[in-house]
Amino acid sequence: MTAPNSDERRACWGARDELWKCLDDNQDNAAPCEKFRKGFEANCPAQWVKYFVKRRDFLKYKEKIQSEGFEPSDQSSKL
Amino acid sequence: MYLLYTLVAYQHITFLAGLGGSHAVTLGVGSCQGFSGSDELAEAFSRGPTGSSPGIGLRTRLGVTALIGAGVLGGWWYVRLEKERRSQLQRMEQLRQAAVGHGDFHLLDHTGRRRTKRDFLGQWVLLYFGFTHCPDICPDELEKVSDVVRALDAEAGLPRVQPLFVTVDPERDDVAAMERYVRDFHPRLIGLTGTPEEVKEAGRSYRVYYSAGPKDEDNDYIVDHTVLVYLVNPDGLFLDYYNRTKDDKQIADSIRKHMKTYVKLFPD
Repeated sequence: MTAPNSDERRACWGARDELWKCLDDNQDNAAPCEKFRKGFEANCPAQWVKYFVKRRDFLKYKEKIQSEGFEPSDQSSKL
Repeated sequence: MYLLYTLVAYQHITFLAGLGGSHAVTLGVGSCQGFSGSDELAEAFSRGPTGSSPGIGLRTRLGVTALIGAGVLGGWWYVRLEKERRSQLQRMEQLRQAAVGHGDFHLLDHTGRRRTKRDFLGQWVLLYFGFTHCPDICPDELEKVSDVVRALDAEAGLPRVQPLFVTVDPERDDVAAMERYVRDFHPRLIGLTGTPEEVKEAGRSYRVYYSAGPKDEDNDYIVDHTVLVYLVNPDGLFLDYYNRTKDDKQIADSIRKHMKTYVKLFPD
């Protein structure tokens, strides 16, 4: 299996960005973004889809930590 | 012994202030009460520590002291310089060995030619490890490296920087795959691949970590790896590295500084 070329990469990233924007606009509600999700999955290799889904979670978490600071869970605060 | 004599000579100077003879002692007593107690001391000093005959004048003794002192100082200075020179030579030899051995690789470039680090001696090298199936980080970083090289190319008087891309996925990234991939970036970018062992060896030289993830039904997988851009100087020595947070301008600035302060270590 050959790696995506430059055009294919760009198509995948474009579809990913559209989906991410939709999810951002809809407070992560997946239903209205179904169309974009399909486009994203059609334009990206399955491995990349998995990777970008995790990546978005990571970026969101990072953003939260950076803007709100780290909050230890109840359990860890008892230690 | 010398030190003692020097010390005593020094006291002469402070006491007699260059007037010579023991007249100074009387002068001292006359002008200052506090000196009276030092009379005996001063006289003892003027006799000299080794009881040298009064025939040798103070000036001669001072002169000899100064000469010996200068000799000792000069000797010490010479030994120090010699030691410094020797440790510098030793350091240079260590560096030379590090430059040849460390960061070495034996790989094939994207045209199928065998390449080692030696081929790039005399050139500034920007080195990046990644893989062609990489979703976003590798293309981003290679784009960044290409921008840096383009920016530096545009400046007259700066040596050229050679961008290199080493795969950490030798199973899929053969010469043909690398050839297709490098086309998307800087025209001078050289892609390097090899057998899994050769790639492992190259990665180890730069302390690069990589680990292939699980394969899916399409036999596709993601390779987790160290994301650093390495700067290697024309002596083949690793000089600096840049992580994801550094943009193309910061990297270009840093390279400019390194080029400005660069001193060729190993004359040919």
